[in-house]
Formats: sequence, structure tokens, C-alpha cells
Amino acid sequence: MATQHGIKFALHIITNHFGNLVAKVCECLLRRGPLSLQHVIRYTELSKIQVKNSLLVLIQHNCVQAFYLDEPDAPKSTQYMVLFDNIIHRVRFSKFLVTVSQEFDKMCVDLTEALLQHGRLTLNQIHDRFNSIQKEGNSISLDAVQENLHKLVTSHYVERCPLSEPVLTQPDQDEVPARKRGAKSSKIIVEPETLEQRVIAAAVPVEAKRFSLITDDERNADAVKDKCDSCTEHVGEKRKYDALESDVDSGGTEEQAVLWRVNFDEFIRRLRHKACTENIRTRLDDGAAIVISAMLEASRKEEKKVKTAKSAPLSLDSIYEEVIKNEMGRNMTFDHVRASLFQLSSGPPFVIVEDDSYIIDFKCIMKLAQSDEVESVVLKRYGKDAYRIFRSLSEAGRLLETDKISDTVFVEKKETTNILYKMWQDNYIHMEKIVVGTTIFLLWKINKETLWKTVLDEMFHAALNLSIRMAYELEQQQEVLNLPADRREGPMKVKFERLKKVRMLLESSQMKLDDAIMLFHDF
Amino acid sequence: MSRLQGPSSLKRPRPGSNSSTQALTEHEHIVYELIRSKQDMGIWTRDVKRETNLQDAVVNKSIKALQAKNLIKEVVNIQSKGRKHYMAAEFEPSKEISGGAWYVEGNLHTEFIEILKKLCVKQVERLKIATLEGLHDSIKRSGALNVDLTKQQIEQILRALVLDDKIMEVKSNGLGDFTRIPVGKICYKCVSKAGPKIGAMASIPCGVCPRINECTPDGVISPHTCVYYKKWLEF
Repeated sequence: MATQHGIKFALHIITNHFGNLVAKVCECLLRRGPLSLQHVIRYTELSKIQVKNSLLVLIQHNCVQAFYLDEPDAPKSTQYMVLFDNIIHRVRFSKFLVTVSQEFDKMCVDLTEALLQHGRLTLNQIHDRFNSIQKEGNSISLDAVQENLHKLVTSHYVERCPLSEPVLTQPDQDEVPARKRGAKSSKIIVEPETLEQRVIAAAVPVEAKRFSLITDDERNADAVKDKCDSCTEHVGEKRKYDALESDVDSGGTEEQAVLWRVNFDEFIRRLRHKACTENIRTRLDDGAAIVISAMLEASRKEEKKVKTAKSAPLSLDSIYEEVIKNEMGRNMTFDHVRASLFQLSSGPPFVIVEDDSYIIDFKCIMKLAQSDEVESVVLKRYGKDAYRIFRSLSEAGRLLETDKISDTVFVEKKETTNILYKMWQDNYIHMEKIVVGTTIFLLWKINKETLWKTVLDEMFHAALNLSIRMAYELEQQQEVLNLPADRREGPMKVKFERLKKVRMLLESSQMKLDDAIMLFHDF
Repeated sequence: MSRLQGPSSLKRPRPGSNSSTQALTEHEHIVYELIRSKQDMGIWTRDVKRETNLQDAVVNKSIKALQAKNLIKEVVNIQSKGRKHYMAAEFEPSKEISGGAWYVEGNLHTEFIEILKKLCVKQVERLKIATLEGLHDSIKRSGALNVDLTKQQIEQILRALVLDDKIMEVKSNGLGDFTRIPVGKICYKCVSKAGPKIGAMASIPCGVCPRINECTPDGVISPHTCVYYKKWLEF
């Protein structure tokens, strides 16, 4: 869901990172959807080589995915699709690095940084990069790099790059029964979102290969060995990978030729988990946060996609086992954990209890966190009474009449009408008029779906503004920044100190705002 | 339900009221009977004129006379405070007219509501987990108020506190703090965090900017020229 300001923000990022040319190609794809090379050339009015190189840059940095649509009415050429989410992820690289640094040592962090910076690298390229920045005599062996890469791949932070150009065939007939009956023209209509998901799904290597360090040679050897044994179920599957591989990676049989990249999904999942835990901590307490964090860890393996609605069910014993793995958790008794679980399920159901098992309701946690964010904007924009009115509408989830609202929130009727009217003008709430005889009744409601979209768009707008302002501040104070530290005196020193504070405030606001964007867009 | 049967709205006629009605002129009598027939809803002067078909001056004069004889009174109608609204002296304004228990002379009794809110929060804090009945009881016993509040009134206050994000509703499971409370019963407890959290958007100028829709990178209103930004980044 790329909103208008989302697109503007994405283009701002691309322009900053790769310049105007690449941004022009990117804009064309963002605004028009997937296109062939020819079409991009025509729309951007750039030369073929310019477009080609720009696309290569975008592919290298995982912002564009190529694919081929093998459907009767589809164009017979490679299509290029921009990956909006991956562009936005570029402002989160520091968060990804912090995540890695909390689990692994410096070399893994450096390795992740290299991949973030260069988009896609082979093992050899990573190794070369490491040695080029090391001081002489301090060279790092290929084995050491491989070992660390292995750690990151095993934890799914790094993955093999997707297929360079997956072929999308028409979905099976029984998957789309409606289409069969439809008119001829409806055949080609594919929902843009669905297409993006289809392309990504088709490009991702099969799970076993995606996170496998085994080289193709070894794999072939394995396959032969399996063939001899011919008793395991995996044989067929494995041979299938081989077949796929030989089609695509023709010639690339060396391990060194495998391209690696950072797996954004895993990072977003981790950040989602962190957001859940922190949300519970502010809403309830540390105990509840430790328990939810343990539950997230214990059910992690069962999670298939980032936006999982509910976790796998967990028993009290398995939760406790996970809790005591954590240093903080070791202070907790079995009863304390039980009490925290009750706390988590007795108010808004963050945790659902089903036949003695406990399930995390991600959706409930996220929904409340989103409401908190919007409500705090309402509070700041329209005041305390409006905050209460907004919350009562949000809680009701249906149309309410002005007088009824006024009675529940203890605000004078006239004032209630004024506040409601103001929020309605700004599209925060929806209004319906009912005329009974000569009396007009005004009914109000929050349309969450549209409001959330508006809020997200405003967030992208705000993120863009923060970034523009930051660049402006730095540009304004260029003179101060260029001055060596020992010559910063008097007014220059004051200016420098101010700039430092401005930078800190803007940067921390950017990070916080990005958390909120993830909450509405990625979680 | 007919208002006639409402015990609270009907008061015993004042002694000697009959004698004063007897002393009314014909016009006064017509006006009085009309106003009285509206019971605790009262009537707007314009409607009196319309329904009696009397001239403005006559109606005004009659109303003045009736008021002087303490037969009718002027009341505030919260639906339209500017209108002159009259009611026979023996009635108390209905909820529709007065605004209900929380209104005094047509105005929301905000100070009283604030006091009650504070009192309720204090009691919930003290009790840790409280039911509506428990709160009603403890407030009564505390003697902090010189008026009796109904359970419904306390419930209204609690609802408002939930909307204020000061307290939250929880369901009893009959264990721990809930031992004395039946399973499934709605209870109230204080929220652990202090006040509403300030979100990411609310803490930057753009989040609360009234001109955000007019703001563009190169426009008259832009992040470069923004007055809110300037103020925000003043160090």
C-alpha cells in the first residue's frame, strides 16, 4: 500500500542514495506499476543504457524485481517491478544493525553492514571487502567470513538472493473459479498487490535452499547419495531444486558465485516482536513483557509470515522453560508467570487462553498500539475532550448520536458538536445526517480503514519533512561543520552546539516516526 | 411510560394553590392550563402563543402575572438555552429539559464531575481491583459526599474514566486479587502507565500541523519555511 506521500518519501530516499537518474526510473515504476524495459525508456525519455544501468542499480539494492509473466494476454517481455517496502527499509538499516549486534559479535555486524551497503554480494566479495578495510597484516581468512555468514544464514538474517527473473504462469484453474466465468477481458486483470506477492513468492528460493550454505556441488553429491539410498522422502524434492537451479543459474556452480543479501523479512519480524514486547511493557509491566517475549521466542519457529495474526499455542510449561532462559526471567516463579499470563488475557486479550494453551494475539496488540498513536494525535490536535470523544467512538465502532456521545463523555452538548464537527472537517470521523420530522440528528463514527490510511500517508509526509529539514539544517550550517574543532569558538561554538542538538532531536524523531510507520505499514 | 405516573416529577400541590388559580383572569387561566398540561417538559413562549392563539402582549402579560403568583417558573432548556421556557411551579424539569443529573441550571456541573472522578480514582487505587458495587459502597461509607449517588451515576463516572485512560476494565478470574469476586465479573483497576502516551506523530510539528495539507517541499509552506519547525528547533 504505497500512499501518495509514501511514493514521495521513497523517491526522496532513492534520490539521496542513488541520484536523480535512478530516481527517475524508480518514479516511473512506482507511479505506473510493473513495466518492460522498452516502456520505461519510452516513459522516462532516457537512453537505453541509462535505464538499463539504473535498473541494475535498483536490482543490486533489492529495490526492483524482474519477472516474466507467462500468461496468454501478457506482454512477451521481462517486466520490472519496484519493491516499495524495500526502499523504505533503507532508512532502517541502523535498526537492523542494532538487532544483529544484540545477538552476534562485531564481525557479523560488519558482514551485515557490508550486505546492506552493497545490496548483494558473493562470499568472495564479502571477503575481499573485509580485507580491503583491514589494516595490513590483519587479514581475515575466508573460513572466518564463511563461519560468520553461516551464523547469519542460520538465524535467517541473511538469505540467498531471489531468482533473477522468475516465470509466473497462470494460476491453476481451480484456484480462480471466478475468472473462468468472467468476460475475456477480465483474464488479464490481476490485482496489483496480488501480483507483487506472486512475483515475490515465485522469486524466493524454496525454504531449504534459501537458507542453505551447502554448495551446488555438495548438493549434487548429496542427491546422488540420496538416489542410492532412495528411501527418504526428500529425494524427489531435492532433485527438483537441482532442476530449478540448472535452469536458472546456468554456469554458476561454485559456492563463491552464490549471491547473498539481507533478509528484510526476518528483521521486520524481529522489530515487530520487539514492538510487541515494549508495548506490553508500557501498558502492563516488566513481568508481562518478559512473559510475552518468552512466548514470542518459543513460538518463533512456527511463524511463517511477518504479519502473523496469532502465534502457535504454547503450554504453561513451555512458556516457563523459555522465561527462565532469560536472566530477568530467572527471578520469576511459576506463579508469577501464571499471574502475568492472566494479566495478559484479562484486559484486552493480548493472549488468548484455549484449552490450557496460550496464544499471542498479535493483531490485538498491534491494533491497540495503532489506536494509541492516533489517539495521541487527536489529544494534541483537538484537546482532552476530543480525545475522550474519539475514544468513545472508537470503542463503540458504530454510529453514535451527538447527545449520546455528549452524555458519555461529560462534555456540554454544544461543545461536543463543535469538536465533532472539527474532527469531521479534518476527515478524522465520518458523519451521517438523519432527519426525523423537523429535527436533524447527527450521527458519528470512526471509519478506521480510511483513517488509518490517512494517518499513514501523513506519517510518510512527516518523515519526508523531517529528512528535508535535516538536510536543510546541515546545509545552513555548512560553515560551522567545515571548521576544525579547535577553531570553533564564540558564536561558532554556539552554532555548533545548537546544530548538535537539532540533529539529535531530528534523528531521534525520525527513528521514532519510523517505528510508527512500521506499526501501520509493516506489522 | 406516562410522565403522569412518575413519582419524582409530580409534587404535591402547594397549599392554597387553588385559591390563586381562582383569582386568575381568563387569559391567564388559558395560559396556565396550557403550561401545566405540559407537565415536566414545560413549554417555549412562542409555542404558548401558537397554541393559545392569543396576542403576544396578552401572553407576555399573563406569563408575568402567573410568575408573580408563583404558579409557573422559568426553566433552562439545555437543548436551546436562549429560549424562554416555562413550567408549572409544581413540576421539576425532566431529564430532556435539564440535561439530567449532571446539569445544574442548564450547565454541565463540571466541578462536581471532576471531584467525583478524583474520588473514584482514589477508591480504585485503594481497592486495587474494584467492582461497581464495591465502589458505590465505599464511596457511600467514606462520607466524602453529602449527596447520594446512584449506582448508574457511579458507572457513568467510571465509563468516563475508562475513556480518559485513567482506569481500565478487567474481567475477574476468581484468583489472586479477584478471590472475592465472581468469575467473569467486570472490574476496574488503575492503568499502570501515567496518562496517555505521546506518540511519534504527536511529538513532532507535522503530526499536529493544521496546514500539513498545504505543505510541499518547494511550496510557500515547506519544511524550510515552517514556523512550527523553527520554534521546535529553537535551542
